[in-house]
Amino acid sequence: MSARFDELIHPSTRLILVATLAATDWAEFAYLRERLGLSDSALSKQLATLEEAGYVATERRLEGKRHKLRARLTDLGREAFGGHVAALRSIVDGSIPDS
Amino acid sequence: MTPAEAREALDVVARARRQVADEVGLPRLYWWAMAVAWVLAGVLQEFGPQVAVSILGLLFGTGHAAFASRYLDGRRRRARLRVSASVAGRRTPAVVIGMLLGLVAVTVVAGNLLYADGAGHPSIWASILVGAVIGLGGPEILATLRRWTRA
Repeated sequence: MSARFDELIHPSTRLILVATLAATDWAEFAYLRERLGLSDSALSKQLATLEEAGYVATERRLEGKRHKLRARLTDLGREAFGGHVAALRSIVDGSIPDS
Repeated sequence: MTPAEAREALDVVARARRQVADEVGLPRLYWWAMAVAWVLAGVLQEFGPQVAVSILGLLFGTGHAAFASRYLDGRRRRARLRVSASVAGRRTPAVVIGMLLGLVAVTVVAGNLLYADGAGHPSIWASILVGAVIGLGGPEILATLRRWTRA
């Protein structure tokens, strides 16, 4: 995985969101909202930003009588996240100049 | 970005991953059911025929195999997330078995110590002691063991 600092992923809330999704195959909107302590609109906004970049895909599923939104990291998102983590490690190791 | 800020960001990533990993586990009700079975085994050990303890052990093993495996891979249906295979790990069932064997050892040692001390019904008291540990702290003990073993 090549190290590549990703400005889109790095902001704290988005980093937690992407790191959480990276550890899952998918997660429901309610779980993410609870985990990140965000309002519905704030989480929707973060997901929309990541979806526009092609990092996240969302899917609305009917469960019982309710629609539930699932989010998952796309292959592109996983690659970007892996590159970002590698870049952070490189900075910690001092192997690349500070950005 | 400074190395300290990068380290902080990596900590955030590790914490998020750990919180997802902690979703892998058994429901607290399961641990309380196990605690009750543990005390029942202690009572049977004291008053019942040996075959009853063996049957209880067999029933428990079968129930555990059928029920726990659905929870320990982080992929059960109707969950709010599906933990990725790399995070769920394959060693968690082995950690649970190791934990159970450890608890059996603690029960035997506690029973022997109580017996040596002259306590009445040492098996029952030992099983109540370990049963309380299982019921109150089962999920936390498993989560800690998973972290130690990186399962």
